[in-house]
Amino acid sequence: MTNAICIMAIFFSRSMHAPTDRPQPTLVRASWAVFQKDLRGELRTRYALNALAMFALATVLMVSINLGSQLLASEPLTPLVDAVLLWIVLFFAALTGMARAFVQEEATQTAALLRLHAPPLAVLIGKWLFNTLLLLGLTSLTTLVFGVLMSLRIGNLPLLVAVLGLGSLGLATTTTLVAAIIAQANVRSALFAPLAFPVLLPLLVIAVQTTDLALSGAAWNQALPNVQLLVAYVVLTAASAILLFPLVWEA
Amino acid sequence: MLRTRIATTAKVVITLWMIGVTAAMFLLVPAQQGLGNTGRIIIYHVPTAWLSELAFLVSAVWSALYLWKRRPVDDDRALAAVEQGFLFTILATVTGSIFAKVVWGSFWNWDPRETAILVLLLVYGAYFALRSAVDDLERRRQLAAAYALFAFAMAPLLTFVVPRLSDSTLHPNCAFLQTATCKGITLRANGVGALGETILELRGMRHEGDLVTAVVAARRGGGDATLLQPSYNTHTDQQEAQPKLPGTSFMLVIKQVNGDGSVFLNQQAAGNQSQLGNLRTLGTFLASLLGFTGLFWWLWKLRVNVMALQRDLALEGLR
Repeated sequence: MTNAICIMAIFFSRSMHAPTDRPQPTLVRASWAVFQKDLRGELRTRYALNALAMFALATVLMVSINLGSQLLASEPLTPLVDAVLLWIVLFFAALTGMARAFVQEEATQTAALLRLHAPPLAVLIGKWLFNTLLLLGLTSLTTLVFGVLMSLRIGNLPLLVAVLGLGSLGLATTTTLVAAIIAQANVRSALFAPLAFPVLLPLLVIAVQTTDLALSGAAWNQALPNVQLLVAYVVLTAASAILLFPLVWEA
Repeated sequence: MLRTRIATTAKVVITLWMIGVTAAMFLLVPAQQGLGNTGRIIIYHVPTAWLSELAFLVSAVWSALYLWKRRPVDDDRALAAVEQGFLFTILATVTGSIFAKVVWGSFWNWDPRETAILVLLLVYGAYFALRSAVDDLERRRQLAAAYALFAFAMAPLLTFVVPRLSDSTLHPNCAFLQTATCKGITLRANGVGALGETILELRGMRHEGDLVTAVVAARRGGGDATLLQPSYNTHTDQQEAQPKLPGTSFMLVIKQVNGDGSVFLNQQAAGNQSQLGNLRTLGTFLASLLGFTGLFWWLWKLRVNVMALQRDLALEGLR
């Protein structure tokens, strides 16, 4: 319901004044409006924020409850194991939260309203901005808690930040498009992981390897090919999303 | 009427052809050096693997065409291609796993090729899951086509990513994927070099007639050096002794003996050497490729026709 009110507040208020020739909003303005609508709706309910933060916390605790006491007693985990565990937590936390952007629109039946009032590309960009923001926050929180609880030793902090940032961007881009697809299906929550996983696999493989490099303190020039691949993944998924989203959104 | 006759003829011809290929696989193809009867499975394995990847391309092409022209028959073709692809992917995985268990020691090795086919299997599975979760026909077709294209867009990236999972491949595939096993090293007497993670030192060379034997000390990690003696027949240009590199699934082979007293060494997985030099093997392989392609095409056509028939029947029911 809040969604519907928000859309009306943003779009109708303008059209009320000039009902006959409403000026078409520019792409940037429309995208920003969609982003603001999602952000405002989220801040009112704080559903995704609470659920995601608790989910991430629970998963990190699940990992460290069993390993934490072992770590104090014996020698630490290898950087690769740390990287794998961190990305498992991030991947599943992303899958719990990212679907909401579109599933919510269908559930509250506001999707049709949004289709009428914003061009598809603006919806994609707005939702993508919101998801990216949410995921970046989630990644920072998770990594922080994970780092503290697992006594993570970081060899190359800027590289780790770059990997987590690019990884979050890639995760957000892919999951936004997949969320748009599954929002139109019947069994939404069950479908998200199987659809997203094969497409996310290249990203996860490189992200884990680069995180491993960052934790073990590799130099930048050693990690450069990996960073380039991460950038390539983000660009490739963004381009595919821009091309395919209108077809999905209007299906 | 003519189409029915062509289809029936195709069915009979393909059946007889595949029976012939299967017979030739056991009777005509010679047992391979170092592999024995296990090597015969490549006659089935390689064509099915190629077709499972071809199906991915076919489904992407017809999906794009559906999104462009919105003809239901294009979606039928894409779906039929995915169904065929799923079938052939399973065939390729099973035959490959059997070969891997016998020759390399375990059913699954996380070889780059194995990872790639796993991704393909996951994509096909997700495609079916998506289709079954959407009731509205028009919407189902559109979403499935969009997903197929999105997954296909990842394919070029995978060719860069997958080789990173493992620095060596058990498959003979240097033409497609450049991995550590493709390079090899040239060593002079007392020369030292690295082959993957193994450090090699050429301690000496022995010449007995046409047979050249290299004495190589191999060390991996901080362990002790193992003496290996690969040999090469310079007259027949054949690799003779192929000792196993300690701690790996690979064997050390001499690829070439140079005039200046140096040797070109490389690691090679069992069953990795090309078997297609033999004319009977090559002929059977090409016949198998042709037969499987025909089978793929015929099954694909059949599925498309059945789906068109189902659509007509449903429309008939509505009237």
